[in-house]
Amino acid sequence: MGGALVLLGALLAAWPWLAPRYFVFLASLVLINAVVAIGLNLLSGYTNQLSFGHAGFLAIGAYTAALLTIHAPALPVIVTLVLAGSLTAVVGLAFGVPCLRLSGLYLAMATLAFGFVIAETLLSLEPLTHGADGLRVPAARLGGVTLATDTGRYYLVAVVAALLTAAAVNLARTRTGRALLAIRESEIAAQASGVSVARYKTIAFGLSAFYTGVAGGLFAFVVGFLSPDAFDVFLSVDFVVMIIVGGLGSVPGSVAGAAVVTVLHDGLASFQSYRPLIFGVLLVVCMLFMPGGLTSAVRALARR
Amino acid sequence: MSAAALLHVVVSGLATGSIYALMALSLVIVYNATRTLNFAQGEMLMVSTFAAWSAQRAFALPLLLACAVAVVTGALLALVLERLVIRRAIGATHWDVLIITLGLSLALQAGAGLVWTHDQFPFPSFFDNRPIALGPARLAPASLGIIGASLVIMAALAALFRWTRLGRAMRAVAQNQRAARLMGISVERVYAAAWVLAAIVGAIAGVLVAPVIFLSSKMGLIVVNAFTAAVLGGFGSMPGAVLGGMLLGVIENLAPFYLPSGIRYSVPFLVLIAILVVRPAGLLGRLEQRKV
Repeated sequence: MGGALVLLGALLAAWPWLAPRYFVFLASLVLINAVVAIGLNLLSGYTNQLSFGHAGFLAIGAYTAALLTIHAPALPVIVTLVLAGSLTAVVGLAFGVPCLRLSGLYLAMATLAFGFVIAETLLSLEPLTHGADGLRVPAARLGGVTLATDTGRYYLVAVVAALLTAAAVNLARTRTGRALLAIRESEIAAQASGVSVARYKTIAFGLSAFYTGVAGGLFAFVVGFLSPDAFDVFLSVDFVVMIIVGGLGSVPGSVAGAAVVTVLHDGLASFQSYRPLIFGVLLVVCMLFMPGGLTSAVRALARR
Repeated sequence: MSAAALLHVVVSGLATGSIYALMALSLVIVYNATRTLNFAQGEMLMVSTFAAWSAQRAFALPLLLACAVAVVTGALLALVLERLVIRRAIGATHWDVLIITLGLSLALQAGAGLVWTHDQFPFPSFFDNRPIALGPARLAPASLGIIGASLVIMAALAALFRWTRLGRAMRAVAQNQRAARLMGISVERVYAAAWVLAAIVGAIAGVLVAPVIFLSSKMGLIVVNAFTAAVLGGFGSMPGAVLGGMLLGVIENLAPFYLPSGIRYSVPFLVLIAILVVRPAGLLGRLEQRKV
């Protein structure tokens, strides 16, 4: 396990020298989506709260980071990202607390509605966001260095994604993590054992929004241009696809799901109008023959 | 706004709402029987409406026959999808089935785009264009027709669920699948029947709405409004689906007259969130009791 991690780390570090420039950009997108998927999985996989609104959280993080960089260019990018994550977390909590009473499809609908409201709000806040014209994001700055190349941005994304992934893996060893795991196994049993389900569901909402907000900040820098229609409901649905194809409640599963979905979307781009057809059929076949997603499939293989 | 204009807006809101209600009923029929949210319901509506349009153009069919083509296509499509795909996933989790129906919806939309292109087409209407004067108010016959047709379908559904063997079997499966099976009900047959019934309702809704919103491969997106309506009324409750649909339609049509453009389209969603905060199971829904 340790050896595999070192290998993976080395591959991540060497990637810009191994791959053509476009694939460096693609790898950044994979890592950003992986952060969102981990965040979404904290919410959906652990506390069973399905969200169809994570594109909204991503948008809040992205616009916060972009506006901070435009209006306070002196801020180091790390501070910008933390602020973007924190603001998103605050919004997540403000939205999550009233939604604690909702579960299942009702929560799915409320989060879907949240996503729509955020997208329209961004469109109408024209003085700040330039509405449908979109917003150009200046390059991120760290100390005296400007991260203006794909490679520079890639390293920023890789470091942040690695930190957040490690934090999510280690979360399982903390009190909060154990509570979340208990809720994942059985909400009622957890409550009977003295875990405050409402409290930890709220924490999961905040954490999930934080992860997604940071990912949004990274997205703003990597893509360099934001417009509200990039954060539509289809993106939210894509995130849900990632965690279910990858495996609910699993950090490696989230990363794998994000990688598969992102690379598939990109790889199928050349098929043009056949793309959604192929993607849809792949989803159906994948879930029919691999119930529980990649994580379950790998576990089943290991057991053999 | 004058009372006459208000009446006009409310009536067209009710017409939009009737379509939402029909689609919401489709979602609820499938959900009650199989505990699955069928993402592909909107695309099934779209495909059956396109089939009616093609048949009507190719053979110069009268509209009523074209509508029958839509119904038959919808039913066959549902039967095939249920048999070939959904039936195989009977042991899978709801999450897995959700992704499967999502995949079906993507594939159907792209497939329809390949067959019929992604352009918009006008669709013939059952109803006249000339407004009907009702005192000072002028009402569109299309609105009244859609509302009337929808009410007939709703009544037919209510009768089916109340008085027929199939309806009783579907209600039994919705209440308790295992007990229903022990009483000799073929749960598999109820699954298939639910898919077919939902598709038939959807196909009729498609033929009714296509003249208003045009026929296009994107018209399946109406499933989002239907889902909103079903949740608003209380997911699983059929009267709730109707109430939610009507309410959503009226709110959507009234909001632009009273609100600035910035939040116009958010209003239905803000109303939805507000209602859910107060009533977490929608207007007429009941929270499911869980046993340990």
